[in-house]
Amino acid sequence: MARSASPPVDSDRPPRRKTDRSAAERSEELTDQLGERSVELSRFYAGKIETVPKVPVRSLEDFALWYTPGVAAVSRAIQKDPDLSFDLTGRWNTIAIVTDGSRVLGLGDIGPHAALPVMEGKALLFKVLGGVDAIPTPIRVRTPEEFIATVEAMAPAFGGVNLEDIASPKCFGILEQLSKRLPIPVWHDDQLGTAAATVAGLLNALELTHRSVREVRTVLLGAGAANLVTARLLLELGHPASSLTLVDQKGVLHAGREDMDELELHNPWKFRIVLRTDGGGRTGDLAAALHGADVLLAASTPKPDTVRPEHVRSMAKDPIVFALANPVPEIWPEVAKEAGAAIVATGRSDFPNQVNNSLIFPAVFRGVLDARARSIPDEVVLAAAKELARGAGRKGLSAQHLLPTMEEPEVFPEIAAAVGDTAVRLGIARRKLSHDEFLERAKTLMGRPATLVRALARARLTPPMPPARPSRSRTR
Amino acid sequence: MTESSKTGDRPTSHSEPSPAPIHLRPARDADIPALLPLLLRLKRLNEEFDPLLKVREDAEQQARQILKADIASAKAVVLAAEGVGADREKVVGFVRAHVRERAFYAPEHEGVILDIYLLPLYRRRGVGEYVLSEVTNALKAKGAEIVTAEFPSQNEIAARFYTKRGFRPITAVQARSL
Repeated sequence: MARSASPPVDSDRPPRRKTDRSAAERSEELTDQLGERSVELSRFYAGKIETVPKVPVRSLEDFALWYTPGVAAVSRAIQKDPDLSFDLTGRWNTIAIVTDGSRVLGLGDIGPHAALPVMEGKALLFKVLGGVDAIPTPIRVRTPEEFIATVEAMAPAFGGVNLEDIASPKCFGILEQLSKRLPIPVWHDDQLGTAAATVAGLLNALELTHRSVREVRTVLLGAGAANLVTARLLLELGHPASSLTLVDQKGVLHAGREDMDELELHNPWKFRIVLRTDGGGRTGDLAAALHGADVLLAASTPKPDTVRPEHVRSMAKDPIVFALANPVPEIWPEVAKEAGAAIVATGRSDFPNQVNNSLIFPAVFRGVLDARARSIPDEVVLAAAKELARGAGRKGLSAQHLLPTMEEPEVFPEIAAAVGDTAVRLGIARRKLSHDEFLERAKTLMGRPATLVRALARARLTPPMPPARPSRSRTR
Repeated sequence: MTESSKTGDRPTSHSEPSPAPIHLRPARDADIPALLPLLLRLKRLNEEFDPLLKVREDAEQQARQILKADIASAKAVVLAAEGVGADREKVVGFVRAHVRERAFYAPEHEGVILDIYLLPLYRRRGVGEYVLSEVTNALKAKGAEIVTAEFPSQNEIAARFYTKRGFRPITAVQARSL
């Protein structure tokens, strides 16, 4: 992937223009088909999860044990020591998936009812991938304060909280406040999950190209939930602030920008990172930022051609390009490669190197729940990222295999154990297990749902999927 | 402040987090070109809080005249904030205040802080404290016996800043369009 192999610099337009467009069209058509089928199946199954008893119920008399009068003694015990709720109830493995529906997928502010199918889907992922019992909980609230108060009020039932699909920048304040106030781990996937997966991919990309995070020049395009946290994590890993450049729609974010005062008022999180990095010593537009840079981490609003081949050509030798916008990446991988990118990652599963937060969140929750952690500090997030990065080596690390895929589930219990270890080391674990104990437990709990799903299907308790009806987009 | 160069490279003297102390001194006529954009940034920021604080089209001319008059006036205080070290002699902020007479209330002489603005990089813990104490001293020297601060009602950052330092609301100004 030497830069000498790239086409001459004066070819302004990438030759693959046609394939780009058809790739975009293909993906749109596929999305339409999947959408129709999803509505069909949602109607058929009427929801994706249900609660199932986990205790024997031999006769109605058993209810005297599981419910009143027997259960009163359990309540008294917990009244004396609230932490016993982690031993005597399902709290240890139960989390809430909370959203106000203010920024759902790419759909925008669609409200709590419309967010429910997405939260149900997330709960399914939590169960199947992490063995976590997750309760979809869209709430109707108007202000961040109301959001925080509502989740605080719900917390006694849960061992953790997963915030989902909340608009930026209010998501920062909500996560910050809830992490401070609640004695259980709080996570916002759009911030932490995406940032952790990005950092994992970047660590491996740097290893492949023999560079260290301490000596590279990095440009982050897009200053939303994910990239602001990615920037914070990179600084914590020792990336110099003086070579870290954030870019948003208006160009390089530096302390002299006219809108800094406005930012301090409306987005103090972004403001603080900009004060720390001050444009990484740059001003101007994306092109000025990328000139000579080693790394581009693009997580912006999906729009094709946001990053152009000449941008990539102006970067340092062996540039690393992460184009993470979904469904349309900022630059198509083929185009980036032709312009000289040594390593390309996207957010899509149909290209190599998918930066996918599903690689992170189930294992992080497995780990913090097994440690009964009180919070999820950045050290825990970084431990998960590093373990995910290490996991790619099992099948051989390469420019085409930067991160494990969802088909390499062996890595997930390892991440959970690394998370558990870190929680113990930081003194935030209520239960201090050894590494092997965390690992064994994670393997058991993460493996169980697959057995369960198979057994339910075999017993016909989960009916097989009905055949797809002929659809408009398919007959087109 | 926001000029962008072709290559984008510029000195990185203050890109690492470090205390960025400032130095306040009385403003001179020669400072006016440097003070103008700062004053206008502050007024444009006020526009963010309330549409009734929309900045006039001739605000720049206004600002120039007001700064000139205040720098000359015995009843006004204008202090320029300079950086230190590499930013020495670079104006990075200012504070402007008036001494007014209160017709009905005692004490009679009121020092009114009208504008405080510092460029974002110079807004670190402790700097606001320093600015407030300097302007208070300058107002006292001009006869003020009570100090007040004017800012948009919606500016909660300013409200918190002053409340923490023993100020409290004494007069409210409400408005509606006609």
